[in-house]
Order: sequence, then C-alpha cells, then structure tokens
Amino acid sequence: MKSGYVANRSTRFSVLSDDQCREIVSASKEILERTGVKIFYQEAVEILRKAGCSVDGEQVRIPSRLVDQALRMVPKRVTLCNSRTGERVMHLEGYNAYFGTGSDTPFYIDPYTGERRPSSTQSVGNNCRVIDALPNLDFVMSLGISQDVPQPVYDRYQYEAMVLNTSKPIVVTANDAQGFADIIEMAEIVAGGPEKLRRNPLIVLYAEPISPLQHSMESITKLMMAANKEVPVVYTPCVMAGATVPATMAGTLACGLAESLSGLVLHQLTKEGAPFIMGGVFTIMDMQSTIFSYGAPEFHLLEAALADIAHYLNLPMFGTCGCSDSKVVDEQAGIEAAMSILLMAQAGPNLNHDVGYIEYGSTASLEMLVICDEIIGMARRIVRGIEVNPETLAVDVIDQVGPGGHFLKTAHTRKFFKTETWYPTLIDRKIYANWKSDGSKTLTQRANEKVISILESYQPEQLSPDVKQKLRAVVERAASKCQK
Amino acid sequence: MNQVFEEIKQAVIDGDDELAAELAQKVLDEGINPVEAVQEGFIKGIDEIGTKWKSGEAFLPDVMMAADALKAGLTLLEPAVAESGSQEGEPVGRIVLGTVAGDIHDIGKNIVGALLTAAGFKVYDIDIDQSAQSFLAKAEEVGADIIAASALLTTTMGEQKELVKYLVEKNLRDQYRVIIGGGPTTKEWGDEIGADGWAETADQAVELCKELVLDIKR
Repeated sequence: MKSGYVANRSTRFSVLSDDQCREIVSASKEILERTGVKIFYQEAVEILRKAGCSVDGEQVRIPSRLVDQALRMVPKRVTLCNSRTGERVMHLEGYNAYFGTGSDTPFYIDPYTGERRPSSTQSVGNNCRVIDALPNLDFVMSLGISQDVPQPVYDRYQYEAMVLNTSKPIVVTANDAQGFADIIEMAEIVAGGPEKLRRNPLIVLYAEPISPLQHSMESITKLMMAANKEVPVVYTPCVMAGATVPATMAGTLACGLAESLSGLVLHQLTKEGAPFIMGGVFTIMDMQSTIFSYGAPEFHLLEAALADIAHYLNLPMFGTCGCSDSKVVDEQAGIEAAMSILLMAQAGPNLNHDVGYIEYGSTASLEMLVICDEIIGMARRIVRGIEVNPETLAVDVIDQVGPGGHFLKTAHTRKFFKTETWYPTLIDRKIYANWKSDGSKTLTQRANEKVISILESYQPEQLSPDVKQKLRAVVERAASKCQK
Repeated sequence: MNQVFEEIKQAVIDGDDELAAELAQKVLDEGINPVEAVQEGFIKGIDEIGTKWKSGEAFLPDVMMAADALKAGLTLLEPAVAESGSQEGEPVGRIVLGTVAGDIHDIGKNIVGALLTAAGFKVYDIDIDQSAQSFLAKAEEVGADIIAASALLTTTMGEQKELVKYLVEKNLRDQYRVIIGGGPTTKEWGDEIGADGWAETADQAVELCKELVLDIKR
C-alpha cells in the first residue's frame, strides 16, 4: 500500500494562482458594472435592458449577477466531430489541448516558387488538404481568404473549399450573420440534417468584439445567430496591450475578459445553454513598428494566464500558438513557434489556433505549418511527463543486464523505446555523413519537400457527389443573390 | 516452399531468438534441407530487417534482436550445412571483432557486430579489453578475413596501432584485413597506423567490410 501517493500525469505551466484569477475576474465584473460596454445593435441592447442592465444610449452597464448567471448556464464542455464519420474527436474542456491553424491571411507563400502571393479559394483548399494530412493538427481554420470570388459571399466559397478538403472539425469565419446562416446550412448538409449537426457539431463559428469594450452590429448578430442555432461559437477579443487595453498585463487581462464576459451574457440571454468558447488573442502592440505581435513573450504569457482564468471559470478556451512575426520561415519563426506551442501545450487552453502564421498573421506558410506539426509532437511528449511504476523503474531488467551489459536487446527496451521516446519525421538527427549525402538540407528545405509531397500525393476522404452538389447549390444561390 | 521457412523468416523479423532456435531444431529433426532453411528463412528475414533499417522503418533494438535470432538459428544449423558440403550457407565473410586492451566500451562494437551479422557476415566477438595476441589467436582459429578493433578513448587508441604492429612482427599482416573504429578515431589515424579501413558509423563499417571481402576474392 502507498499512502497519500501523488503522481504528476503531465507537466504543467501555470501563471496565476486561484486568488489572482478571482481578482482579475472581479476587476472585469467591476469594469462591466462601472464602465460597461457599447453595443451597436438595438435588439441586443433591449435584451440586456430587460435582463436588468443599465442602458445609456449604446452604452450598457452589466450587473455582476448577470455574469454569474451566464457562467452557471453555459456548458462547461464543447465536443467537435469528424465531418465524414461523425466521430466525437475533440472534447474542449479542462486541460485538453488541441491544435489547429489560423484563418484569414491575405497572403500565402507559394510552396513551389517561394513567392508571397494573395490567397485564393485554391490556396485555401490546398492548405486544408495539407492540414488534413498532418497528424498533430486537430482542427482547421482556412489559412487564407477566397479573394478570387465575389467578396460579399467569399465565406461560402471558403467553407466549401475547406470542407471538401478536410474531415477535421472546422472553425469558420464569415462576412456577416447571413454568411453564417448559409454556412450552417452547408454544415447541416454535410452532417445529414440540422438535428445531426446539433448533436455532433462539425463547425465552430468565429466572431470578435472590437476593443476596447465594444460589440459591433456585425459581431453581435453573428454571436446571436450562433446562439439561436446552438452552433458552438468562439467569441474572441483581439487586444493590444498599450493600445486598445492598458499596457499592464493584469489590466490587459481584466479589460479583454470584460469583453468576453459581456459577450457571454448576451449569448446566454439569447439562448440559455448554447455552446460558447471563450476567446482571447491577447498580445502587445509593438511601440516601434506598431504591429500586433504574434511572437512576443508577453503574448504567450497572457495566453497562458488567460488559460488559468478559463480553468478557474470552467469555460472552454480558444488559445493561440505556432505563429510568428518573421516574414519568412527562419530561425525566428522556429523560436517563436516552439516557445508558444510548448507553453500552450502545458497551460492547456483547448482550441489552440494560428498554427502556420508568419508575418504577424498576414501570411500563411505551409512550411511553417509542417514544422509546427513536428513541434506539437515534441510538446505533446513533454506534456505526457514521466510514468513512474515498477515496470518503468525496470529494476529487474537492470539486474538482469548487470554492470557492463547493454539494454539494446532486452524485451523491455523493445516494449518501451517507441512509446517512451518521440521520433521525428522532419527534425534531423542523422549522422553527419548521411546528412551530407542526403543533400545537406536545412529544416526549411526539408519542410518544403514534405509540403510538396503531401500536395502531390495526399487525398482527403471525399464527400458524396450528392452532398457536393448540394453544397455547390448553396454557394451559387448566395452568389446569384449577390450579383442582383 | 516449406511452411517452416516462412515461420523462420518471421521469427528473425520479430527478433525471437527462442523461436528461431526451436525452428532450426525442427529443421534438423524433420530432415528438412538446412541450406534451404538458411537461404529461404534466416537470410530472407534478416534481409528484410536490413532493408527496413536502411529506410528508417526498423529501429536499432529490432536489428539487434533480429541478429540474435539469426545467430541462435545458424549456430544450430551450421554443422548440418557444413556436412551437406554446400557453399550456399557460407557467410559473406568472417570477422573477429573486439575492443582493444585497456578499454571496456562496447556498445558501438556490439552494434557493429549486429549489423554485420544482419548483413550475412559471421562475427566472432571476442568482447572487451583484448590484447593484440587475443585478436590474432581468434583470427587464426576461425580463419578470419577481417580483424576489427574498437577503441573509445584517446588513451587506448594506441592499442589499435599495437595490433597492426604485432601482425607485422608475426609476418601475418597480409593474412588479414584490419579495420578500426570508435569515437576518437579518424580516417587519418587509420591511415597513419597502416589499417586497411576506418568507418565512422556501423552502417559504413558494413559497407567497408563488404568492399574488403570483395577485394580479397579478387
């Protein structure tokens, strides 16, 4: 018998204590009661007024009891499914950390020429095919914009390009609530009907407030559409410390969280118990270049701290990692990606996006993506920690081999070496002579070869011709309305 | 083809030395052609592991254990193969392998031994801390083609030179190809002491031995 034995099942990175989380949440509630938020949509203002908010034109002050009520009503877990099999593949709750790409980058790096080019429906489709092939990526965002189609309805083309090329759960962006309505209709076609989509969600809608403390008509109508349809929604403030929120990390967290919680209140008042994922892309404005930094250490620190708050509030969370401010896939990109991925893997936000971004989120790179897939594999090994038990302690085996022997031929080694150790597919560990004879390639060169090989050989599981045709009909219906 | 050959091949691939020995015994007991058992079973199995090792599908423990399974079976079948007078079961070459005097490092040497076994060589491993006299005695006993000496320390590298010198003194330098390896050694060191070859890695050591054996046969 072992009395009171405590084991670590994983490694963990935590920034805030429970007391600090409580203090930050309390500050957010104070901001909502004292300052309030602006809501540019009359219907939403009325819902909040009826629930007991104090309304002054567009400015709505929210009593903390409404925040507490929303936190009680909202589901503590969200499940996402494979679009081909309906298998429940992602459970967004607790410390479960999943990884996926980012969405609407205006540019992508053409893997064949290395050129930075405007993204298109075709680049989105190709990117999703690569994401589908990579084992450590769990969900998909578009990694580009369908810029080659009528822009008022680009979102339907973009979703079509995505769902044709991947069976992984998809987080979708849209122009407006009508775009979401069409995409939900398309997802229902893929799922086999509205009830099946509600039971086994294949998509998550993405919307964001405007910092500081504003909810535009566009974001609110998207949020309410998601609530009414009971489709999971990520509502994610994208705040810049020093610019749209205070320069201090605590002030950034409090202000950004107030935006999330006010969104949550309206969402739950719209439809009690609808699935909600707390967002937060919290970083700094670089005061020299003015960029919204995707590689700053404060970014990873804030995201990890926000994960602590999400765990404290028992809310599923949308995190960020695997992205860079570098303009090319170089040492900087590798450093920023590795640091953010390992920290997110250990801090445990659930839906970690933006893997594959370079140039502060303006450009998608498939080389970056396959490198990050490898880094996620390494991070997952570290997070798995060390299993300590009589079999892994191997005292019997050590005795059998004895001083001066070796373990290469023991059954114990054969049983464990593959599960205990992680093996790379892209990272190079070759002996010098073999590395040289294989062409002396850098990581980025090998990554490019892997991308090309996936693009030229990998085929995702296809949707049925009937489903494809119905999806096309929705896209064409939207396009024809747009032309009128 | 006899079903037992397929089982032997699989036992080698699985690195199951007990099963490999059991199947070799079955070959003898049931009067199955031992040369065919070696060619169609043991060699096919080890070839497959070797191919997988080169392509990165098999890992070192897989190769080491397969080499052991091969050895377990061949040891039992060797007398019968010799009796049959067939040249088919002959190894690619015979190699005496060991770590030089004063040095007890052996993990690299063991890996080289396993990969050579997997490549069809008959390896006589005389273990660690062995004098030049021991290397030669074993080489004479088994009729070796190659003597392979490992050293892991700058302080014991000198023993590789002693080995070559000893063979020269005994007027037997031409009888054997001498190769060296180990962490601190280099091609330059091999040339300096008059060795016939040096390899950085176990895979390169196998290639080197294949070339030397071809050279001997010319």
